[in-house]
Amino acid sequence: MTRNLVYASILACTAALTYGFAANDFVPISITVALLGIAWIVLFMHGLHRFSSLAFSIFIIISLASLWADVPPLLALAGVIFSLLAWDLTRFFQRLQNTSSPQDARKTERAHFARLALVIGLSLAGYFAATRIHVTLTFGAAALLALLGIWGISALVYRLRSHE
Amino acid sequence: MSRIVLLAALIYLIVLAGVGTLNGTMVALALPLVLYLLAGLWRGPEEMHLSAERTISAERVAPGDSVFVHLTITNHGGALEQVLLHDPLPAFLSVVEGASSRLVNLPARGSISWSYTLQGKRGSHYFENIQAIAEDRLGLMVKRAALPTRGQLLILPSISRVRHIPIQPRQTRVYSGVIPAHQGGTGIEFFGLREYQVGDSPHHINWRVSARQDDVIYSNEYEQERVADVGIVLDGRRKVNEFGGRRSIFEDSVLASVAVASSLLAEGNRVGLFIYGKRNRWTSPGYGKYQRERIMQDLALAETGESQNFSSLIIPRRLFPPNSQIILISPLSGGDVSLLAQLRARGYQLLVISPDPVSFEARGLGDSPSVKLATRIARLQREVLLRELRHTGVQVVNWDVGRPFEQAVRSALSRPTAFLHAIQRGQGKR
Repeated sequence: MTRNLVYASILACTAALTYGFAANDFVPISITVALLGIAWIVLFMHGLHRFSSLAFSIFIIISLASLWADVPPLLALAGVIFSLLAWDLTRFFQRLQNTSSPQDARKTERAHFARLALVIGLSLAGYFAATRIHVTLTFGAAALLALLGIWGISALVYRLRSHE
Repeated sequence: MSRIVLLAALIYLIVLAGVGTLNGTMVALALPLVLYLLAGLWRGPEEMHLSAERTISAERVAPGDSVFVHLTITNHGGALEQVLLHDPLPAFLSVVEGASSRLVNLPARGSISWSYTLQGKRGSHYFENIQAIAEDRLGLMVKRAALPTRGQLLILPSISRVRHIPIQPRQTRVYSGVIPAHQGGTGIEFFGLREYQVGDSPHHINWRVSARQDDVIYSNEYEQERVADVGIVLDGRRKVNEFGGRRSIFEDSVLASVAVASSLLAEGNRVGLFIYGKRNRWTSPGYGKYQRERIMQDLALAETGESQNFSSLIIPRRLFPPNSQIILISPLSGGDVSLLAQLRARGYQLLVISPDPVSFEARGLGDSPSVKLATRIARLQREVLLRELRHTGVQVVNWDVGRPFEQAVRSALSRPTAFLHAIQRGQGKR
């Protein structure tokens, strides 16, 4: 099940971004994105899971860049969410291979999917709320908010890493 | 790169790009990644306080026997949402039922128990600590611990029984046994005649011979049967035991060693074992069931080694004086004849049990014309080698490992050896 979901996620993020670029007449870029998606699938099929982080980073950057190419923001969001799913599920798939108990694998799959669904649901809700609420900020205020955000993320990362 | 660092780097990139271009939608794209990171922090694994207990159903088994391993892991600390408990198996052991690793949720002060079944190859197998890897549900925070617990499993060699191995050492010990001692006395086999002595049983008087003499009465004398010193040498050189495709005839040599040692010990002999392999190891000579157990344990640990020839094969005279019996179990190679001849020259009675490497290897190579020709050449070379050995006075049992060991021993040793045949033929001509 997890393996199929990885394929589905890679296909979905590739399709969303390919379609987004192609619809805005960036055909060479859309072909490149499609090829990258295929490469990701092939790497996963051959068990080269260490490349999933690289593929995830590339797709996040492409999703980001797609906004400059006037790709609809929802397709860019789909690119981010599905590439995040593919990256997470690849790691999860590796972890499941460490257990030889099918019952454990099923239980863990259920719990993992529930946690992912929560994250995705909250992300979508947060995204729609953020795009509906319009607040006009000066550049200074935006930069201050960005710094605050970066500090928050840094603190979070420090805490997570110190627990390892 | 750590997953957390990668996520953080991507979030920074998105936020900085969004702020730099004053594009709020772009900043909002960071939301799934931020929430994913927060989800990792939420209910991440705390410090692990686990203890483990491993119970193994048997300490020593025969190959092919199933061994049940029962594990209990107790959590003395806080809840662990997802923990991988992995019991690393020693090499050459495999799980036949159940699972040696579990991915479970361990509640605070809770415990989990499970069992699995193992089978494995001959050897002494040591179990290591149990590995515990606790993670949050998304695998962002990872904590590892090794749970101290030990265990050992000894898988003994397969046992093949041989009823009797007819050896004829020149020297025996004083205790009675089943090996002909070349001395007259009490026994079963007729040995010769001597003049009647007071105390001889009337049943032993040879009336037919005595009737031909005037004043002398003769008694039958029987051959004494005693126990002997026997040294078994197991050849574990890789170059003669291992072939292409990781096939090895060494297991058959071990099986032969077990059969020979068991049979000789059962008849009361004093038996020692020398394993010439990865580590040269002597099991000092001894008697009985205790010695059999020692030999079985040493054979369980026997492995092939890199030695090219028998250069360091020294039979200690203190343990095995000249004239005692040495049994070499080896597939043999061309250079071994001179060493075995030297042993003969030192006075040892030598029996070589040689698992046939030619037929063993030929079985795994198919039956193409080139293989058939190569097999024929190799067989001829081996025949020459065995003939050379027999000419030096060594008894040789050429064992095709496709046949039962007892059958091979019986057919090779139940008749007079080749050199005895030659002597008999020579006497006949005169």
